[in-house]
Amino acid sequence: MNDGAYKVTVAKDLEDLIPTFMKNRRKELDNLRIALAAQDLEQLRQLGHRMKGVGVSYGFERVSTLGKTIEDGARSGDRASLEATIAKYDDYLAKVQVAFE
Amino acid sequence: MSDLADAARMTGTAFRVLVVDDDPDMAAFLARLLTGEGMAAETAGDAEAAIASLSLQPPDMILLDVMLPGADGFTLCERLKSAPASAMIPIVLVTALEDQESRVRGIRAGADDFLSKPVRREELIARVKTLQRLHETRRELEARRLAAEIQHKETLRKAFARYVSPRLAETIIADLVEDGTPFQREPQRVSVVALFADLRGFTRLTEATRVDEVVGMLNEYFEVITDAAYRHEGTIFSMAGDCLLVGFNVPFAQADAAERACRAAQDMVAGFAPVLASWTARGGAPTGVGVGIASGEAILGNIGSPHYMSHTIIGDAVNTAARLMQMAQPSELLLARPVYESVRGTLDSQRVRFKGQVALRGRSGTIEVYSVTL
Repeated sequence: MNDGAYKVTVAKDLEDLIPTFMKNRRKELDNLRIALAAQDLEQLRQLGHRMKGVGVSYGFERVSTLGKTIEDGARSGDRASLEATIAKYDDYLAKVQVAFE
Repeated sequence: MSDLADAARMTGTAFRVLVVDDDPDMAAFLARLLTGEGMAAETAGDAEAAIASLSLQPPDMILLDVMLPGADGFTLCERLKSAPASAMIPIVLVTALEDQESRVRGIRAGADDFLSKPVRREELIARVKTLQRLHETRRELEARRLAAEIQHKETLRKAFARYVSPRLAETIIADLVEDGTPFQREPQRVSVVALFADLRGFTRLTEATRVDEVVGMLNEYFEVITDAAYRHEGTIFSMAGDCLLVGFNVPFAQADAAERACRAAQDMVAGFAPVLASWTARGGAPTGVGVGIASGEAILGNIGSPHYMSHTIIGDAVNTAARLMQMAQPSELLLARPVYESVRGTLDSQRVRFKGQVALRGRSGTIEVYSVTL
C-alpha cells in the first residue's frame, strides 16, 4: 500500500482550508521528530491526540489512526513503535492525494 | 440550507457561535461547518482569547475544546457558568469519544452538551441546532416576558398618571427605576410660579344640585382646567374640592414659567365658558373660574406620613397664590406684582387693573396685586 498514493476525498466546502491543513501536518511531523529526539513523551502524546481529533474530521482517517498509535506509544513509552509510526506519517504526507466532492 | 439559516440570513441576526480550540485546523473546520448552516462563527485559541471575545460581544453558543493551553476547557466552562452575564450561554464541550471522565467533569462544570472528537459533521449540526432551538425558544419566552412586564408597567404608569400629574408620575417612576424606593428624594428648594384655580360660587351651586350631578359637573370642570394646565406644561400638585394647584418651573425648569401660568389661566377660563353656558341653560347658579398666581421660592418634596403622603410644593408663593385665588371673582386672574412684571408685555392693558396694596389673610404686610379680567 505504501508504494501507491493515499487517496483522500474531502468535502468540497473544506477545499480552501486544505492547503493550511496540509502545511500544519508537515509542521506537526517536524514537531513529532523533535519530540522523539528529545524523548518528550508528553509532547508526543499531545501531538498524537491532536492528530487523532483533527484527521478524520477533515476526512483524513489515516492521520487519526496514526495519531492514536502515537498517543498510545507515548503513553507506553514504546520508542520503536513511535519511530515506525512517525516514519509512516512522513510517507503518508508525501504521497497523499486529495480529491474534493 | 435549513429554515433557521434562511431566517437568520433574512433577519440579519445570525446565530453566533464562539469556537474555542487551540488547534487552528480544528477551529477552522468547526467554524466552516457552522457558517455553512447560516450561523456566524468566531474562533479563539485559549481561555483568555475566549473571555476577550465574550466581553466584546457575547455569543449565542460556545463550542469549547477541553484541552486548551493554560486554563483548560473545564475551568473556562465553570467560570463562564458562574458569571451572570455568560451563565445562560449554552456550552458544548468537545471531548474525546472514549473519555467518560471528561464528560463527568464537564457536567460538573456546567456544560450543556458534549461533542465527540473526531467530530462528525451530522452530529455537530444536529447538536448545535438542538441547542439553537432551545436557546431561541428561551430567548423568545424571555422577550415575551419582558414585553408583558413593559406592558404591565405601562398600564400602571397610565393609571398612576391619572391620579398624579403625568410629569410627577414620570419622576416617581424614574426614582423607582433607580433604586426601587419612591418618595425618598430629599426636599428641594425651588423657584416656582404657583397657580391656584377655583370655581367661584361652586359651594352655592352644590347646595341646589343633586350630589350625583355634582360629581359629573366637577369632572366637566376639571377636564377643562387640567387640560389647560397640561397644555402649558404645568404640574398639578393637588386637586381638592373644586380647587386646583398647578406649579410651573417644577419639577423641570421653564424660563417662561410666569407666561405659561397666565396662558393656562386664560385657557382655563375660556375653556370653561361653554361648560358654564351648558350649566346655565340647565338652570345652574352663576359661577366661574377664579385664578391666583404668585411666584417665589418653595419647597418641593414629600409631605405627610408613611401612611399617606403628598408630593407637593409648599411655601409663601403657594400661600399667596391661594389667597389671591380666594379673592378672585369669576373669570378674574389676580397676579402678585413679580408675576405681573414678568408678563405685562403679553397682557392686554385694557384688561389689567392695579388693585393696589392688598393685605392677605394670615400674612403680615401687604403685597401689590394686579387684576386681569379674562
